[in-house]
Amino acid sequence: MLLDVAGLTVTARVGDADVPIVRDAGFTVAPGRILGIVGESGAGKSTIARVVAGLLPPGFRIASGSVTFEGEDLPAASAARRRELLGRRIAFIPQAPLSSLNPVVSVGRQFAEHLAHARVPRAERRGVAARALAEVRLDDSEALLARYPFQLSGGMCQRVLIAMAFATNPALIVADEPTTALDVTVQAQILELLGDLNRDLGTAIVMITHNMGVVAGLCSRVLVMYAGEIVEQGPVEQIFENPQHPYTWSLLRSIPRVDALRHERLRSIEGLAPDLLHPPAGCRFHPRCPFRIEKCFTDEPRLQEVAPDQLAACWVTMARARKEMGADDLIDIRPGAGSGVRKGELTD
Amino acid sequence: MAEGVLQQEPAPMKAGAKTLVRVENVIKHFPAGLGQSVKAVDGVSFEIVEGETLGLVGESGCGKSTLARLVTQLLPVTSGKIFINDIEVTKLRGEKLRQQRRQMQMIFQDPFASLDPRMTVGDIIAEPLVNFGVMRGRKRSERVQELLKIVGLNPNFNNRYPHEFSGGQRQRIGIARALALNPKLVVCDEAISALDVSIQAQIVNLLEDLQREFKLTYLFIAHDLSVVRHISDRVMVMYLGKIVEVADSAGTYTSPKHPYTKALLSAIPVPDPRIQRGKRLVELSGEIPSPLNPPSGCRFHTRCPIARVPTPCAEVEPPLEEKARGHLAACHFSQDV
Repeated sequence: MLLDVAGLTVTARVGDADVPIVRDAGFTVAPGRILGIVGESGAGKSTIARVVAGLLPPGFRIASGSVTFEGEDLPAASAARRRELLGRRIAFIPQAPLSSLNPVVSVGRQFAEHLAHARVPRAERRGVAARALAEVRLDDSEALLARYPFQLSGGMCQRVLIAMAFATNPALIVADEPTTALDVTVQAQILELLGDLNRDLGTAIVMITHNMGVVAGLCSRVLVMYAGEIVEQGPVEQIFENPQHPYTWSLLRSIPRVDALRHERLRSIEGLAPDLLHPPAGCRFHPRCPFRIEKCFTDEPRLQEVAPDQLAACWVTMARARKEMGADDLIDIRPGAGSGVRKGELTD
Repeated sequence: MAEGVLQQEPAPMKAGAKTLVRVENVIKHFPAGLGQSVKAVDGVSFEIVEGETLGLVGESGCGKSTLARLVTQLLPVTSGKIFINDIEVTKLRGEKLRQQRRQMQMIFQDPFASLDPRMTVGDIIAEPLVNFGVMRGRKRSERVQELLKIVGLNPNFNNRYPHEFSGGQRQRIGIARALALNPKLVVCDEAISALDVSIQAQIVNLLEDLQREFKLTYLFIAHDLSVVRHISDRVMVMYLGKIVEVADSAGTYTSPKHPYTKALLSAIPVPDPRIQRGKRLVELSGEIPSPLNPPSGCRFHTRCPIARVPTPCAEVEPPLEEKARGHLAACHFSQDV
């Protein structure tokens, strides 16, 4: 395995307390594969990205668990070793392309600085930069390297950052919502580019996104996160075809599709994501879940195999909800609106 | 996408419905120094009929938010006319214009910036009522509580402050404020773009319910075509200050008649691996040109995959004309799209 994360718990300092914002997360990334991590704000997906890249913000701490990259325990590595890894073996593509480049330093100098860090000999830097820029389909690299970030569009800045990430030929790229700030046509180009580079260079990618469409097009595996926990993971086709966690299932039904054939009311997930300072007992999704049973209020479900290679943390799972509650026939999940919330109906 | 045509529900044709908004050849140029100007909206005409939802899509800088602010008269036009209910609002000034504003309200993108943090939720929602001297005392506070209930919030929350609410709840507060004066037209400018996916669905459903209940007319602006398609009866696509295509939402999506619309559609990631992987992206070359100095002829010709340059595309501006029944596009070669 290229990357192996096990039992990872990350806490953030809030006042005097350490609040767990990622709990007991475990997953692996094989060389050359693309893993998608989806979830809504506060789900913990960016925190995982930052743990892997070694860029945890101040106040965040790895409380337990291990992160092994190419056989090396990352949290145990010295600061110097981590700096060495970042940018050479692991690269990070941030969300906000414009604020991630220094506006008063030319693109060329920033690129050279990055290559110097990766120990590319001075004489080769210009050539490496030009080739990397050509890979991301930015022509006229000479002119581009002389320019300043504010003279470029958001899409061009993001391409520059992607070129920098790939230039040093890392084994893993961590991309934290790299297209969220971009227009759809630019987003599509960037995603296609990431897919091509992954195919051509065999670089593994961890892709953080809130967009299920991005996962569908680019990733081979997906982790679905909710309130700091992984609630489901597995191969992309399988998860989209047959999601087993009610959160994944609801999320896929709450997105309007541009290729929809008729107008169907969206299945909204009522309520709000929990406050991580006071998470609900039992399953963290139970206050919003249309298929909860009594057990969900008190006992925490753990990830278990629900299909070959597919894990979900749910006491009910969609297979059972469908069979015993007619889940696909339920139209409105709002409390009191003929919802699926029939307490105790499925108790063991 | 095209194979779905037959199963497509007929678009709700609001035939015979009254025209609520009429925009005639509206231009908005912002001075940019050195005698130059940003041509944000450059000769736009369209209508919205009562009870319909007109979607407006386009990428950053295409002029869609400027157009929203022109329709609600938060910005004066450079030239052209806008009629709301047959009253030419672009001609109105002062108190007359203020009175017209009761009919047109706006819901904004940023639920954090659009609510005054030092006002209680009750005061925020009551402000339009106070401004127009509608209802007083107990009646007014009852109306506020009613509005909170309508948008799905606890009516007893009226003494709380915006910071106590999540993004989705704040957007509900913004909606309650927009509804306070029983407007006819509600302009939603990226009203759900800042929200999480599961919350977006809640707000979209709420907007649909409110439209049915209060017979609202929406101008719904967003960059997310999937949401726009879902909520709109008709969709209008803008590029560099011009409308390039208008059609009922089925027509726009199943048989686009402008190459820009087609490119936009191909770029949307569909949450289905089987479809998304087999999709072909219509590549647009280059970047969006500057609205300071838009390209000659068809503004899209510099990036268009089917443009014939120089003639006619770089020389003659294509008019926005009917290419099929109720389906308008501005392209010399719409039959090739």
